[in-house]
Amino acid sequence: MYLIIKRLWQVNWAEQWQYRANLLMYLLYWLVSPIIYLAVWTSIANAKGSVNGYTANDFITYYLVLLICDQVTSNIVIHIFGYKIQDGSLSGELIKPIHPVLTSVLINNIAFKVLTILGFIPVWIVLFFLFRPDFSHVALSGILLSIPAMILGFLVSYLLSAAITALAFWTTRVYSIHEFYFALILLFSGQFVPLPLMPKLVQDIAQYLPFQLFIYYPIQLILGKLSSAQIVQGYVSGLVWLGVAVLLFNWIWRNGVKRYSAVGA
Amino acid sequence: MHTLKLLSSFFKVNVQMSLAYRADTIVNILLNLMWLGWELLSLNIIFSNTSTLGGWGFGELIALLGVFRLVNTIMMAIIWPNTEKFNQSIRDGSMDYTILQPVNSMFLVTFSRITVWRIWDLILAITLMVVGINMSGDTTTALHILTFMLLATTGTIVIYSLWIVLIALTFWFTKFDNNVTILHALLDSGRYPATVYPVWLRIIVTFIVPIAVATTIPLQALRGELNSGQVLGFFLVGVVSFLLATRVWKAGLKRYSGASS
Repeated sequence: MYLIIKRLWQVNWAEQWQYRANLLMYLLYWLVSPIIYLAVWTSIANAKGSVNGYTANDFITYYLVLLICDQVTSNIVIHIFGYKIQDGSLSGELIKPIHPVLTSVLINNIAFKVLTILGFIPVWIVLFFLFRPDFSHVALSGILLSIPAMILGFLVSYLLSAAITALAFWTTRVYSIHEFYFALILLFSGQFVPLPLMPKLVQDIAQYLPFQLFIYYPIQLILGKLSSAQIVQGYVSGLVWLGVAVLLFNWIWRNGVKRYSAVGA
Repeated sequence: MHTLKLLSSFFKVNVQMSLAYRADTIVNILLNLMWLGWELLSLNIIFSNTSTLGGWGFGELIALLGVFRLVNTIMMAIIWPNTEKFNQSIRDGSMDYTILQPVNSMFLVTFSRITVWRIWDLILAITLMVVGINMSGDTTTALHILTFMLLATTGTIVIYSLWIVLIALTFWFTKFDNNVTILHALLDSGRYPATVYPVWLRIIVTFIVPIAVATTIPLQALRGELNSGQVLGFFLVGVVSFLLATRVWKAGLKRYSGASS
């Protein structure tokens, strides 16, 4: 198994490396919205002194950490896998004795992530000097605690997206479904603004959804804003959602593969 | 007249193509409504925490959203689909057929694909502008509204010219299929007044990728923040950039040698 993973890594790394210019463009594309939100909210905080207790520095640190968490927990499953179900190239993967989504697609996504993170580090440093955040209240323990939380967040986000992508077995409109799902993430994850500034109703619903595990929860961990009870609660909900995501993905996948008849068959 | 006839036949062809995907059209419009809902919600969240954003009120941001959506619609309905077709035609050499037509090639490259259902988006954008202008109240004069319309058109022409230059670069660098990503990436900056951005970002969205010229600046005209010299200046920038783009396009065409030769 180790050998298989090593080989898969080499292949997928080489594949992603081939498109490194595209990766930089992707990075640029992905960067713009958080920077704009940052600019909007710091301008409001500067004009009013603070927004609901959030100072300009709170917003700057929030969005700069958000860039890191989003980079780690987000995924591109729909793009590397959706078309394979639609055009039938999944067949070649299905006859291999390994699960396509949990091996090669996952490794391809991780290779993509590692490359974009490498490109992202210098960009982040430039942003650091442009915005000059005050990170003095960030403790090492928070950063260490956030690492497993981000990995957990990535796994949940990966499996949920994979489950949605697997809907392509039934419908050709899977990209539209994914766009709707993406809007849910935007609304409930804390991507637009720290959750406490959202309407009360949105905050309440967000408690019962997995999306804050992707963004809001790891950011709060890094910034050291959570009590130990909240930290435990976050991890527990992360594990519960991981279980739900595994079951959901498995169920959709099994039924989908049964339905699958490759294009041309 | 000739141009209009051509435009209407392009339009007819594209309507026929989109009629083959009726259900997709409905899904697309629903998703579009969903994003409108999100945009209004996010403005509502901003204004539940403050009464002005960079000095601008809620109504003015609604009008800005309208202008942004107008630019966005032009991008989505015309610019992206035609870019895709253009890049493809450079790669496989089908650009030959475009040049052979007895019509201005820049015109053909701009309008041969039209995403028809986006007309709906255009109506929405104009509605938002009208509602926004009404909300922002009594201080707007007819002159301000006229300069607003003039500068919104100018700004759109500036962005269009930049697009022509970017795709014309493909004549020199054949493998340049990322030619419009920079435009696409920075487009979202048009949702908010550029005056709230840090200086470096304001410089980028005003001078390098002039999204703000088509969004923030017309709104500033509506607010009466621009004097007649500035309005004239922006108008001239629009004219000059269009002329420049035409020249770059012609120079590029001379470089084109087909894919197989």
